[in-house]
Amino acid sequence: MTEYFERIHEGLPITDVEIIDLHAHLGPERVMHVPANDPGSMVKTMDLCGINKTVVSTTSGINVDIVLGNNLMLKAIRAHRGRIYGACFVNGHYPELSLDELQRCFAEDKDVIMIKIHPYSTSCNMKDKRMKKIYEYASDRKLVVLVHTWLDGDQYGNLDIFADVVKDYPDIKWIMGHSGGPYGSYHAVKLTQEVENIFLDTAVSMCPARQIEYFVAEVGSERIIFGTDNPFLDPRPQIGRVGLADISHQDRVNIFSANARRLIDF
Amino acid sequence: MAKLKFFDCNCSVGRVTHPHLYDIPDVKGLLEEMETAGIEEALVYHTLARDGYPPDGNSMLMDEIKGFKELHPAWVVMPHHTGEMPRPENLLPEMKQNNVKAVRVYPKLNFHSFSISEWCAGELLNALEEKRIPLILDLDTVSWDEVNTILKNHQQLPVITATCTYRNNRYIYPLLEKYDNLFIELSRFMGAGAIEDIVKRFGSRPLLFGTNMPQYTGTAALSLLTYADINEKDKQSIADTNLRNLLKEVWK
Repeated sequence: MTEYFERIHEGLPITDVEIIDLHAHLGPERVMHVPANDPGSMVKTMDLCGINKTVVSTTSGINVDIVLGNNLMLKAIRAHRGRIYGACFVNGHYPELSLDELQRCFAEDKDVIMIKIHPYSTSCNMKDKRMKKIYEYASDRKLVVLVHTWLDGDQYGNLDIFADVVKDYPDIKWIMGHSGGPYGSYHAVKLTQEVENIFLDTAVSMCPARQIEYFVAEVGSERIIFGTDNPFLDPRPQIGRVGLADISHQDRVNIFSANARRLIDF
Repeated sequence: MAKLKFFDCNCSVGRVTHPHLYDIPDVKGLLEEMETAGIEEALVYHTLARDGYPPDGNSMLMDEIKGFKELHPAWVVMPHHTGEMPRPENLLPEMKQNNVKAVRVYPKLNFHSFSISEWCAGELLNALEEKRIPLILDLDTVSWDEVNTILKNHQQLPVITATCTYRNNRYIYPLLEKYDNLFIELSRFMGAGAIEDIVKRFGSRPLLFGTNMPQYTGTAALSLLTYADINEKDKQSIADTNLRNLLKEVWK
């Protein structure tokens, strides 16, 4: 029984540890109805369980138009300063526009702090040559790049493709979104053990039993960041998953926020 | 707020060919997962009944959970036509004798390869409906049109959609508007604000706590519910009471 067992069972937010969600989105979604998808609802949900800060890219940016999506991201940051931060979304099919967006978003608001790419949704392979300048932008600035990854069934961003790219950019801090998905744990861990600048992500809807414990045992809690996929997925399951995992309190602190603070100057 | 009591409607024992991560094949492993999350009781089926041969799996289930009061059996069943499963008039007494109060089916080609339509499964569905035995459907093996037909033709049959994902609201809502006998299991029902929205529109009655342990951890579905922005009575109903109420109606 962990130190948060009673608190989580009683539905009380975790307040003694800062919680930073580095993997979140924003907005309604084509493929599904998301009841709590607007910035205000997201912050309310975060308050219910104790998430202090979240970093968002928008569904509009991922699915349709990166400029439109990034504008919505910037608006959300302004509306919820200190709670919502931004991940600039880029798309390799638009290399020049993506570079313009990176320069615009990072210049326009100091709370834009990461880059998000989604090879699967954009149908742009991570190894596509048009991605190169985006990676160089991130590498020159030692930025955090969050990538949607899946073990297999993803011809644009599976773990083999991800592995090939990340090794070429050691100055980028790569977050392996979803840690390769529900069947990806073993391969995600193996890759994280091989490459220093990769971090595992907790966000997943099919939550394998004892996965957090496995990650901590195999790569150490310093290599795991807290992500939720909010509002695509409700963030509250991830609080239980980390809060009730059989790991030490310091491991939990690392996952909930200490690692995020080491990666990003909030 | 007092600790909620949890009764999980979606657990299994037995090995699987492709585990998500760890091999947790037995009752001991399931009980450890339940303890980690703080879940008191569970409705359990055997993976051999799903992925192998249902009669053998059901039999193995009864052997393996014998003596564990916190585990309640759910059998995997099929229509009787090939003789592999007893006719409904023989199957149900056997279930009653074994205190089995819920069943699961896996129709569709290359699962258990039968049709859930009336011409094939009608007698089975009628018998289950007559005794109010909850039917648990895995949405990998039935279409929403088939779910609609079952709900329409068997309005006294409680139908539980297991592994109903966060992407399914646009199917679920029109069905919940029409039918009182549809119930949603929560292990993958994780769209942001989904519990609150269902409770606001339809009440807490259609939601049943489930985890898919030991393949998944129980901790995720648990905190999804404990942190839900709904009143304590609704939380307790979803966590335990709704399922208990369904099972109370069986055999009446």
